[in-house]
Amino acid sequence: MLFIGSQFVIWSITGAYMVFFDIDYIHGDSLVITHQNTIKPENLTYPSQALFQQYPDAKNLSVGLLVNREVYRFNNLGQQLTIDARTGELLSPLDKNNAIAIAKHAFSGDSEIINVEIITHNPPFEIRSRHLPVWRIDFDHFQSPTLYIATNSGIVVTKRHDFWRLFDWMFRFHIMEYGGESDVSNWLLFIMTLFALLAALSGLVLTYVKMIKPLIFSSKNRQNNAKKSILLANGEQS
Amino acid sequence: MMFWARKIHRWASLLIGLQVLIWIVSGLAFNVMDKNKASGNTYRQTFIVTKPAIAESKLLPVEKILQAHPDTIELRRTNILSAPYYLLTHKKGLYRHFANSYHLVNAVTGKLTLINEQLAVDIAKASYSGAGDVDAITLLMPPIADFPKQQNPNWQINFADDLSTSVYVEQGSGRLVGHSNSDKRFADFFYMLHFMDYGSAGHFNSIQIMLFAFVTLWLSLSGLIWTINMFSKGKYRLKRREN
Repeated sequence: MLFIGSQFVIWSITGAYMVFFDIDYIHGDSLVITHQNTIKPENLTYPSQALFQQYPDAKNLSVGLLVNREVYRFNNLGQQLTIDARTGELLSPLDKNNAIAIAKHAFSGDSEIINVEIITHNPPFEIRSRHLPVWRIDFDHFQSPTLYIATNSGIVVTKRHDFWRLFDWMFRFHIMEYGGESDVSNWLLFIMTLFALLAALSGLVLTYVKMIKPLIFSSKNRQNNAKKSILLANGEQS
Repeated sequence: MMFWARKIHRWASLLIGLQVLIWIVSGLAFNVMDKNKASGNTYRQTFIVTKPAIAESKLLPVEKILQAHPDTIELRRTNILSAPYYLLTHKKGLYRHFANSYHLVNAVTGKLTLINEQLAVDIAKASYSGAGDVDAITLLMPPIADFPKQQNPNWQINFADDLSTSVYVEQGSGRLVGHSNSDKRFADFFYMLHFMDYGSAGHFNSIQIMLFAFVTLWLSLSGLIWTINMFSKGKYRLKRREN
């Protein structure tokens, strides 16, 4: 137990953290609002045909809202572009003020923004490199919420807060992955789990010997004693 | 203190000892299982479809589509097999698997299209590389056992192959939700055990696992105190003490 015990403690603490906090809360679902504002077709004053003339290679055209303005998003020669659907003005890559406006619009809380930075390479652990480049917007709140906004589309690609960051650490300790990638098939976990299996089995034997057997026996004894006293009582009567 | 640590440890082990064993065995199963097999994608392939012949600029203009469907949150170009479509979102969930509401509009004819049985089968077949034939088609409302997180209606297309492959196509959008098969269901069984998710809610925040996790904390912490106590008393020695 000296050897495997500390891992049991880690498993039980990290496991308890993961089951006690609602996973949707952990994933920051409550940090953002999914707006249901609809596109006003009369605002598309820059016709899509003009777009195809200006960008003949445009592909996968989509229409959506950036805060409250209609935008076209499309792929042009391998690059994602966003343009204003009223004027045709190129909005991507987003400037800082637009990124802040989007973050305020999407964020469900009322905390102030305390940090804005652009990440173009070497992303931190919590953002996948395929989302780059992104604006990182940090809010002033005890959970340290962060929204990541793609500079090419203005879409909130992911969000984080400290409860999720801590959850990720808990998970890594739970699966004993102390390297880079979160991979449950590692040797350290395999060996420790085998020892844990031995420890748990021997623990169950002890539980049987120390707890279950005495409980059964004491109840049997009690029954026997009860029978004896009844016999004795009967014997006295006769 | 030590009296209580021992007492708590014994009673906690009586309450949850078997579950601890189940956690370790299922955890070991995750560690050793073949993740490719467990993903359910043995017979999944990327769609073999020809690209739409028509240039995107020659499709119906998006303004026209949006005028005809004014309550649209988002319009996206998409392909259903080889045909170009516009996917209109009318109710937007935070994620695709959350409740969403869509219209599919043919980008050439402008006709509103529903993913019917035939289209769903064609999509499923285009994603399937196995040898089995389709043997059942069912429209399923959530919750769906193979994809518990999915909150939208799906076509389930079952193939008669050695792995009982099921392919799921979202009814509203035509999106391929995923493949499942007997290997994945076997792995899911261990997830159910590990997460104590007997109702297949697809998460590990149930009241039963919270209770067990709480008792497990008492078990492991009382064990820690006990171990430290024995260590400080010199009970852990490689050589037996000479008495």
